[in-house]
Amino acid sequence: MENCRHSNQSGTSAVHKVISDFLYIGSGVALTLKLLGGSVSVGLFLGVLFAVVRYCNICRSVVSGIVSVIRGTPVILQLSVVYFIVPQLWGCKLDIVSTGIIAFGINSSVYVAEILRAGIESLPKGQFEAAYSLGIPPFQMWKDIILPQVVMNIFPALINETVTLLKETALIATIGGMDIMRRSQVIAAGQYEYFVPLCTAAVVYYLLVLSIEFVGRKIEERKTAC
Amino acid sequence: MLRICGVSKSFCGVKILDNVSVEIAESSIFGLAGLSGSGKSTLLRCIQKLETPDSGTIDCDRKVGFMFQDFQLFPHMTVLQNLVYAPALKASAEEKEKCVDKAKIILQDLGIEEKASEYPGTLSGGQKQRVALARSLMIDLDVLLCDEPTSGLDVTTMADVVTLLQSVNQEFGVTIIIASHDLDFLTRISDRIVLLRDGTIATGIYPKQHDDPIGHLKSYYS
Repeated sequence: MENCRHSNQSGTSAVHKVISDFLYIGSGVALTLKLLGGSVSVGLFLGVLFAVVRYCNICRSVVSGIVSVIRGTPVILQLSVVYFIVPQLWGCKLDIVSTGIIAFGINSSVYVAEILRAGIESLPKGQFEAAYSLGIPPFQMWKDIILPQVVMNIFPALINETVTLLKETALIATIGGMDIMRRSQVIAAGQYEYFVPLCTAAVVYYLLVLSIEFVGRKIEERKTAC
Repeated sequence: MLRICGVSKSFCGVKILDNVSVEIAESSIFGLAGLSGSGKSTLLRCIQKLETPDSGTIDCDRKVGFMFQDFQLFPHMTVLQNLVYAPALKASAEEKEKCVDKAKIILQDLGIEEKASEYPGTLSGGQKQRVALARSLMIDLDVLLCDEPTSGLDVTTMADVVTLLQSVNQEFGVTIIIASHDLDFLTRISDRIVLLRDGTIATGIYPKQHDDPIGHLKSYYS
């Protein structure tokens, strides 16, 4: 009887513990989503800029150099540069979220630029010529004619890049960001037990990835219906 | 008058146009005949400034529209949006409404008004052709360049295209320059035809003043 009560009590507290650990790890989603949202925006903006500038042969070698260097160095290094070196050079300390958004955003932008380049090159040259023949100015041509078609063509690749970016945000833990990954490590280190915290983090990341894929599929279906 | 003086153009060392000179009268229908690779499309592209000639000049200060062989409609826009987008860019709200009305009238004239809200992907070749023509007509042009306007069309649709281009020429006084290898079509529609062979002008005729224009042009093909 005594033993049974004891095992019931320990079972309840174990469930309690798992739930509280899950909530603790899950509360890191806010930081992960902030980083993801910010860096996707920065990545798209800079990626479009890089791709268009390169296609139009403006400062092509400079942009190609930037793209080459960023693609050729690890994200964790870029994160460290933004967090440790930029403040030394400019004398201003960036918080963890801004650091992450800048580093992940710049890193993502070069991949977005490459995806866009492929998309632009796959578009018939006649689309540019038709726009020129109709007297459409370059800005409107890119905004309303070229990029909407390119984005539709490369949409699956952009979703893929977003998923990659989501997983890369886990590197924010290296500079102390309390995201999903970092929180699971904290719990694991405190309990000397890795299985449950890491599996919990994996489940949370996996659910986020599934959500991104679901939203992407819905947008694609809607666009295809048009 | 549209003057082309000594125009030459090469691609990768291959001469496509070689010292082509021709004058095209205003409000006329001018045919450019020739086999594939004879330089017809390149000459049209030079007139539209899509290509820069290696030498020679093209004297044309008029508004030029281009109807592409593969139409090049904007696939993410409806037929009506394809027509209205360019002319409405710098227009006021009132002018935009006028643009939409004008587009609807043109679509009606071309017999495709019921396709206004459809996307180009859902149209047949002949319908796309009409939309491409309608889009060119929306910008109040003086010169219309047509690259192989009848390629892939059946006989009935081809007859419609002839009627359509003739009415555009007569009603709006638009100069039409047509590049085509279809001699039957060209002799039916053109006031004057020039035949290009290996990038040079082989012969030129006024088909309505000729007994056997097709036979004459064919004799220069070989």
